[in-house]
Amino acid sequence: MSKLKSFWSALVLGLAVQAIAAGAAVAKDIVVGTSVALTGKYARTGQEQLQGFEMWVDEVNARGGLLGRKVKLIHYDDESKPETGAKLYEKLVTDDKVDLLIGPYSSDVTMAASTVAEKHGMPMVSSGASASEIWERGYKNIFGLYTPANTYMDQILEFARSKGLKRVALIYENTAFPIDIGNGVKAAAKRLGMEVVFEEEYGKASTDFSSMIIRMKAKKPDVVVGGSYLPDSTAFMRQAKENRLYVPIFAFAVGPALPDFGKNLGADANGVMGNSQWEPTLRLPGVHEFAAKYKAKYGHEPPYHAGGGYGTGQVLEAAVKKAGSVESDKVRKALLGLDIVTTFGRYKVDATGKQIGKPGYTIQWLDGVREVVLPDDAATHKPVYPFQDWAKR
Amino acid sequence: MELLDPVILLQFLIGGLLAGALYALLACGLNLVFGVMRVINVAHAEFMLIGAFIAYVLYKWLGLHPVVALLVTVPAVFLLGVVVQRLLIERVVGRPLLTSLLATYALSIILVNLGLLIFASDYRAVPVMQGSLAFGDIVIPKPRAAAALVSIVITVSVYLFLGRTRLGKAIRAVSEHAQVAQICGIDVVRIRMLTFGLAAAMAAAAGVMLTMIYSFSPESGADFTQKCFAIIIIGGMGNFLGALYGGILLGVVESFVGGFVSTQWAEATAYLLLVLVLLIRPTGLTGIADAR
Repeated sequence: MSKLKSFWSALVLGLAVQAIAAGAAVAKDIVVGTSVALTGKYARTGQEQLQGFEMWVDEVNARGGLLGRKVKLIHYDDESKPETGAKLYEKLVTDDKVDLLIGPYSSDVTMAASTVAEKHGMPMVSSGASASEIWERGYKNIFGLYTPANTYMDQILEFARSKGLKRVALIYENTAFPIDIGNGVKAAAKRLGMEVVFEEEYGKASTDFSSMIIRMKAKKPDVVVGGSYLPDSTAFMRQAKENRLYVPIFAFAVGPALPDFGKNLGADANGVMGNSQWEPTLRLPGVHEFAAKYKAKYGHEPPYHAGGGYGTGQVLEAAVKKAGSVESDKVRKALLGLDIVTTFGRYKVDATGKQIGKPGYTIQWLDGVREVVLPDDAATHKPVYPFQDWAKR
Repeated sequence: MELLDPVILLQFLIGGLLAGALYALLACGLNLVFGVMRVINVAHAEFMLIGAFIAYVLYKWLGLHPVVALLVTVPAVFLLGVVVQRLLIERVVGRPLLTSLLATYALSIILVNLGLLIFASDYRAVPVMQGSLAFGDIVIPKPRAAAALVSIVITVSVYLFLGRTRLGKAIRAVSEHAQVAQICGIDVVRIRMLTFGLAAAMAAAAGVMLTMIYSFSPESGADFTQKCFAIIIIGGMGNFLGALYGGILLGVVESFVGGFVSTQWAEATAYLLLVLVLLIRPTGLTGIADAR
């Protein structure tokens, strides 16, 4: 009997000790929550972003943590779906009771996720989203790192105009970020006196553009601009070659900024332009160290999505330090006033939380390597013009 | 309007026929399985992706051209299909339709997640035989032409096999009436293994050719599965030739809709066509599903 009793008391005591330990751990760690696409269309980019952020978590903990507390990351896979993302953030806030939120990858998931952050009044630092629409809803809790999407193609269009090109063919996926790129392209074309001779939206699952390309060819464009992600931009280029669509400039969002673009297209990637939020060759504080560490850990150069994830950590760190607390109101105020240069570039937002400090960059695939070609002061290579005709390759 | 130019119209037609031939190869296998065992294989497109990933790995490691990889991939996936039939599908044959739907759905989930574990969800492609052959203003994309050729050769061979050989006739007998076939001395279990293997192999062949046309990931199957369902319903469930007609019809209509309306509408074509065919001919173009 006494044996049994001591067993029970030991068990109860044990559980109590565990509960106290767990409680203490929760109170001690600063918990950061995020959803990020690990499956679905945005998986590749989502994963890079997460890895970049995780690298910051490791480093900040090695430095002794934030405000003397350890940083712990909780993340879930949102499957590239806005509705799943929204649910997960709800869970992060109400179930996991995280202290800080960082945004998911892609503008359409961020559109949904930021609504949850707004509802709970918790600031969300977002890398991985750049559609201006996100900051046009009067929300007070969403802070961006990326250069807004509606300026993505400006450098390329200005370059095209300087070469005397005037006829723009514009295609984009029908979700928030690509639509914003499209709007930016139309505005820039108008400003530069260029004409959009072809415009079409396509669905998130589209992989066959052959008929579209045949139709586009009939309009005789000089520049093809795609508000795209990875799978659609590679599919388009492959089919452009099949259907012998030739223009002096091909430019796409997201896809060309990723190593997979070159892997999937091989030599056909050569000459394709794109835009990048960040490149590991930029002269910014800590870029070299970050890129080297990332490459050693994951086996490839960090794309901008990874740089963004890492930069998010630095912005969060600066804001929490400035606020001296993880309280939502104080962190929000700190994020609004912050003006710093991170490994990802300058962070400075306007009153809506939209990024206004960071420039964008133009890249081009040249001989199997992604080179920065614009603006001049960041360039690693001169832009190669025109795109080499398929027949002469 | 510049789109009514005969060159452009012919180009749409060629694009549609080439895509349709590949659809047909994929859908014929699905229909064969349904015809012989009344099982709707939701995991059919996953066998296509298994073929695609084997071809990808062979290209990556050995530099093997996908067309050569067919010789390895098709028999390998045939055997895999036989094993899957023996271990899983055989147990749900003759059960209510929901049972086989659930079983193959489970199989699909397992295969997709296995794919994600092994290959992650990155998009892959095999960048060989890109570009096209030009005949004046008309272009014929090389990888698509090769895929269509392979599709036609395999589909016609399987058709002849079903019509001309003893084994093929046995498959058709089981499809017509399994019990009577059994009474006549046909080993229906063996026939079903053979059928499923054949269907898996056809899907794998489509997958191998696909590597040169599209980027794919372990999650790319769903789209193809849905289209295949639409094709066999349009063409007629359980009828081998029905899937062939359905596939080619879908490819061509998609191409013209994509050309004259938009790519977004092209994506919806399969389902619009489905509704249309069901309204006019509820059993599909050649259907036997409800005939008995």
